Amino acid sequence: MNAPTGLDFASIPERIQSEVQRAIQRSIKGVEYFSTSGPSLGSTPKDVLHSRGTMSLYHYRPTSDEIYRVPILIVMATTNRGYILDLVPGQSFIEFLLRRGYDVYMLDWSAPRPEEKSLRMEDYVLDFIPDCVRRVQQDSGEQDVSIIGYCFGGVLSLLYGSIFKDGPMKNLICFTTPIDFREMKLFSNFSDRRYFDVDRLVDSVGNVPPEMILSSFEMLRPASRTVSQIQLWENIWNDEFVKSYRMFDRWATDTLPLAGEYFRSITKDLMWDNKLFNDTMSVGGRAAKLENIKVPFLHAVAEHDHIVPYDAAKHLIAKIGSEDKEEVMLKGGHVSLVAGANALKRLWPKLDSWLGKRST
Amino acid sequence: MTNEINDPVAMWQKMVGEMEKGFNSFANQAMSSPEFSQAMNRAGEVAAGAQKQLGELMEKYLVSVNLPSREQVTGLAERLQAIEGQIGEIKSMLSRMAASSGLSQGSDTALRPPRTKRPPSEGGEQK
Repeated sequence: MNAPTGLDFASIPERIQSEVQRAIQRSIKGVEYFSTSGPSLGSTPKDVLHSRGTMSLYHYRPTSDEIYRVPILIVMATTNRGYILDLVPGQSFIEFLLRRGYDVYMLDWSAPRPEEKSLRMEDYVLDFIPDCVRRVQQDSGEQDVSIIGYCFGGVLSLLYGSIFKDGPMKNLICFTTPIDFREMKLFSNFSDRRYFDVDRLVDSVGNVPPEMILSSFEMLRPASRTVSQIQLWENIWNDEFVKSYRMFDRWATDTLPLAGEYFRSITKDLMWDNKLFNDTMSVGGRAAKLENIKVPFLHAVAEHDHIVPYDAAKHLIAKIGSEDKEEVMLKGGHVSLVAGANALKRLWPKLDSWLGKRST
Repeated sequence: MTNEINDPVAMWQKMVGEMEKGFNSFANQAMSSPEFSQAMNRAGEVAAGAQKQLGELMEKYLVSVNLPSREQVTGLAERLQAIEGQIGEIKSMLSRMAASSGLSQGSDTALRPPRTKRPPSEGGEQK
């Protein structure tokens, strides 16, 4: 709405009336807010192909008349649930991919059990991902598989791709994936080796509790939770705002614990020694150099990512060995890049136009 | 765009936004110091130790009153989830077997569309 440049006294009664109406709506909707459970998330029809401890492999039921030859395996970040990519109809990345004719699988995680505290990086990179790739091949009847990794799922996909350099990965797409962990300044400071005794922590708690993971994410923007609650109250009359708030808030607070040994390895190899960036990373004794990845590669980064700042992600494109590679920077933050209203207009169509021609 | 001079609500929203940015930036600066890391990790160690001891104490108490701990209930739920997963796996294996033996009417595997899709031509519209 355009407004005149000076004080517009004529509009004041109208404005007051609108604010009073909103205040009434806030009271009504506020009661509703606490008495309802919010939208149902992750409801795109799917089948569980395989489940083993912390790992689950889903296959989403195709919705188009014909599909691309090459199936997609999405590798989710180990700290969060995969339903961020399948929020609600109309705001679901999975639904978008299905409608565009892709055959979609997802490697998702649940909280590791206490006895899974001994899972190591090797289990994720040399066992879980290859196992899922094999099952995707078996289920789809195709040898080639495209992999999409989100955040730390991207790191796992990079490690997998750099070790299994002879296939069967056909294309690799990473969303907001860090490789230079020194540049994740606050995380780096939180885990400063002079003060952070990761051995003591893992030995005493086993799996790293989700509260600890959530607090470290929230500490990156300590005022934002309070401000978002103020914004919720201001906009509680607005059903769309409330729906969106509930979806993202539920997902953000639904953080997963991390298997103790796996966390120890992330801290020592990546946070402390920055091995992926320094080309000294190995998993289970197998060298994981990014230059080994030769398949078509796309890296999507967010302009306002406070979790994985661009400085932590920008060297990935240069280090990948592929000739066919592209980095794309899009407006948005770490989560809004992949989910929500703007992703529908920005990232998803870009991914479709890039991947479609490489999926036949 | 609404002019903030005559819109107190927009002014308030802008002020909240600026305060958020300012506080985050100030806090980030403070949290970048080694002193903060030292203090945070010291507190974290104490909390983790206390949490572990409390957990063990609670577990002993629950055993004495013959009740399962939260961890045991979660463990049971997760085992149930694993069984569900295995049932799903058996179901999809049976579907595949049925599909390959021609007994697949109604199974999801048999209804899978052909893998013949081509990307839309350059500049062409994608449906």
